Amino acid sequence: MTSTIVSDADLTALVARLVAAGTRTIAPAATPYDPRRTEYRAIQRFEEATLGGPLPRRSLKEFFLPPSEVLLRYRQNKGGVDVEEVPTTFPPQVILGARPCDAAGVETLDRVMGWGTRDELWFGRREATTVVSLACPGADSTCFCSAVGLGPDATRGADALLVPLGRASVQPSSEVAKRLREAVDAFLSHAQSNADGAAGIGDASAPHPATGVAYLARALTPKGEVLLAGAGKPLAAPEDVELAEAFARSARERVAQNVAAFSLAPEGRPQLETRLGLAAADGGELLDATLLSSEQRTGVALLPEWLARNFDHELWKTLALRCHGCGACTAVCSTCHCFDIVDEHDSYGAGVRRRNWDFCQSAKFTAHASGHNPRKSQTERFRQRVMHKFSIYPRRFDAILCTGCGRCARACGAGMNLPEILGRLVQLARTEPAGSNA
Amino acid sequence: MNLYHPHLMRIDEITDETPDTRTLKLSFQEPELRDGFQFSAGQFGEYSVFGEGESTFCIASAPTRKGYIECCFRGVGKVTQAMRRLGVGDTLGFRGPYGNTFPIDRMRGHSVVFVAGGIALPPVRCVIWNVLDLRSEFKDVSIIYGAKTVSDLVYKRELAEWASRPDVKLWQTVDPGGQTPGWKGEVGLIPKIVEKAAPSGEDAFAVVCGPPVMIKYTLPVLSKLGFADDHIYTTLENRMKCGLGKCGRCNIGPVYVCKDGPVFTLAQIKQLPPEF
Repeated sequence: MTSTIVSDADLTALVARLVAAGTRTIAPAATPYDPRRTEYRAIQRFEEATLGGPLPRRSLKEFFLPPSEVLLRYRQNKGGVDVEEVPTTFPPQVILGARPCDAAGVETLDRVMGWGTRDELWFGRREATTVVSLACPGADSTCFCSAVGLGPDATRGADALLVPLGRASVQPSSEVAKRLREAVDAFLSHAQSNADGAAGIGDASAPHPATGVAYLARALTPKGEVLLAGAGKPLAAPEDVELAEAFARSARERVAQNVAAFSLAPEGRPQLETRLGLAAADGGELLDATLLSSEQRTGVALLPEWLARNFDHELWKTLALRCHGCGACTAVCSTCHCFDIVDEHDSYGAGVRRRNWDFCQSAKFTAHASGHNPRKSQTERFRQRVMHKFSIYPRRFDAILCTGCGRCARACGAGMNLPEILGRLVQLARTEPAGSNA
Repeated sequence: MNLYHPHLMRIDEITDETPDTRTLKLSFQEPELRDGFQFSAGQFGEYSVFGEGESTFCIASAPTRKGYIECCFRGVGKVTQAMRRLGVGDTLGFRGPYGNTFPIDRMRGHSVVFVAGGIALPPVRCVIWNVLDLRSEFKDVSIIYGAKTVSDLVYKRELAEWASRPDVKLWQTVDPGGQTPGWKGEVGLIPKIVEKAAPSGEDAFAVVCGPPVMIKYTLPVLSKLGFADDHIYTTLENRMKCGLGKCGRCNIGPVYVCKDGPVFTLAQIKQLPPEF
C-alpha cells in the first residue's frame, strides 16, 4: 500500500470534497455542552475537528451499533399485522481521526457480529464506512492499549492510518522534514497539554493546531486507498518514515509508562518497538501481532486461561464491592455490545421494534420472568464482564474484548479502575500458572 | 430482510393446559414455510407479540408433525401475558429455529427414558413424539412426569394417550398434598419416583428437564441406575434476546446457551460454572 504525506490543508480539502458529495464525515470535535471535551460527531468543515484533542468521550461503536435502532415497523389492522422491513444498506460515511483503540474495537466486534449468522445491520454500516485512524497523540494516565496487543499506532480496524510527523529527538535530514517537525512540535505540545489535564478531560477549546501539520498517511485497505487517492502527494521518503516512527515511539513510551504502572507489562519484552518500520515505502505487513500467540503468553494474555480456572476465586467477592451497577463503563466501552430488543407501541396500533444498548451490570439483565436470576449480585455481574472480555471472548474469537482505551476507568463514578484490576489479576496469573494447584 | 425480522404466524388453536399454562398451535402465513419449515427436536424460537416484545420458548411440537408448530407457556411476564390475550386467528411473530438439537440419531436403536417436572414437559414432549412417531426404531420408552398438583400437569390428553399405549411405560406423579381424591398416579417427588421406576441405564439415554432443584436430585439417581454422563441430556434456559449469539445475555461461563445449546449432556454441564 502507498504512503503519502498529507497536510491539514489536504485534509481540509478532503473533508470539503466529502461533505460536498453528501458523505457523512465524522471526526473528534468539541462537544456542544463542554468545549473542553470531544466526541465523535458529523462535521461540515475540517476546522471543526479536534484531532489532537483528548480522547473522545464515547467510542466509535455507536456509528455501527446505534444506542437505539429500529429493527422493524409494524401496523396492526383488522386482518393481522403488516410488518415493514428496515434497510440494511447505508449511505457511505467516513470517520476521520479515529483513535486506533476505537478502530480496533470495531474490528473486534466484527467477529461476534459475523458469528454464525451475519448481522446485516452491523455489516451494512461497516461496508459503508471508511475508517481513517490517527496515531494517538494524547495517551493519558488511564490508557493501556499496548497491554492488550494494540498500541498508539495500531492499525486493526482502520482503512488508513495517519501518523503525525516528527518529534524533537529526531534529527531532521532534510529541509522539508525540518519544517514539518516544527509544525508537528506545535501540534504535539497542544496535544500534550490536553493529555496532561485531569484524566481524559483535556482542553479541546484551545485553538486548532497550526495549519501546516503534516501526517504520514498510509492506506491499509482498498477503501482507504480510494479515499486518500485525492489527498496529499506520494512522498514517503525514508526521513518521513523516520519522523513518523519517532512520533509513534514517543506515544508508545507514554502508554508503556502506564502499562508498567499497572503491572501489565509483558515481562522481558521491549515496549517501544513500532510497527511502522516494517512498512516503509514498499509496504509491509501492518497487521497487529495478536497477543494470544503462544510465545507471547505474558501480561493480559495469561488471563484467558487463568480466568477460566478461577471462576470461584476469593478475589471476586471484594473486587465489585464498589460497583453501583450503573452501566457507565459499558456505555463508553469500545467493545461492549450487549443489547436488548423491545417493542415501542403507539396508541394507534402501530409501532417499532428496537434494538437498544443494554448492560450486563444491571440486575435485570439476566433475570427470568419467574424471578430466578443466575447472576444475583454485583459480584457475579462484574465477574461476568471481566470474564467475557478477557477469557470467554478471546477463547472463542481469538481477540481480547478490550482495546485498552481506559474509558471505563474514567467514567466510573465509584472509582473502579479496570487496568488496575487487570494488573492484580495478571499478578495472580503469574504466580499461579497453568498446572499449579491454586 | 434483516436477521431480527420475524415470520408471521396465525394462531390456529388454543388449548389451556392448566389454569396458567397455554398451548398455541401456530401456522406460518408464508405458504412456502407452512409446509417447508424444518426444525429438529430441542430447537427454540423467539415468539413475539407486536407492541409487547419477544419471548423465548422451545418448539414444543415434534418435527415429525408437519404443517404447524406449537408452543407452550405460562403467563408470567409482559410478553406471555400479552400472548394470553390473543385469540384464534390472531398474528404472532416467530424467529427460528435456533440452537442445537437432541441427538435423535444417536438415540436410535436404544432405550430412552424421559424425566420431566412441571412446565418442563413441553421441550421433552417434542422429543417424546419424535421418538414415538418413529417408535419401531427405538427400544423401551419410559416417561416419568410430575408436577406440584394434579391441576399443574400439562398435556393431560397426551398423558392419557401415553398411559394407554402398550409400548410406553408412563409414571405420573404429584407432590405430596397435590393429589385429588381420584388420583391414580404416584405421590412423591420425581427423584423418588425415578428410583422406584428404576429404568435401566444399560443401552439407554435419558432426557431430563425440570426446575433446577429437581434436576439436581434426579441426576444422582440416574447415575446410580447406570446412565453415563454423556447419555443424559437436558435443555438449559437462560434469558435471551437475539437467540443468535450476539446480544451477550445467555452465556454460562464460556458457553452460549443459544448457540452451543440449549441441549447439553450432563458431562457438559458438569464443566460449566453454576450460573444457570
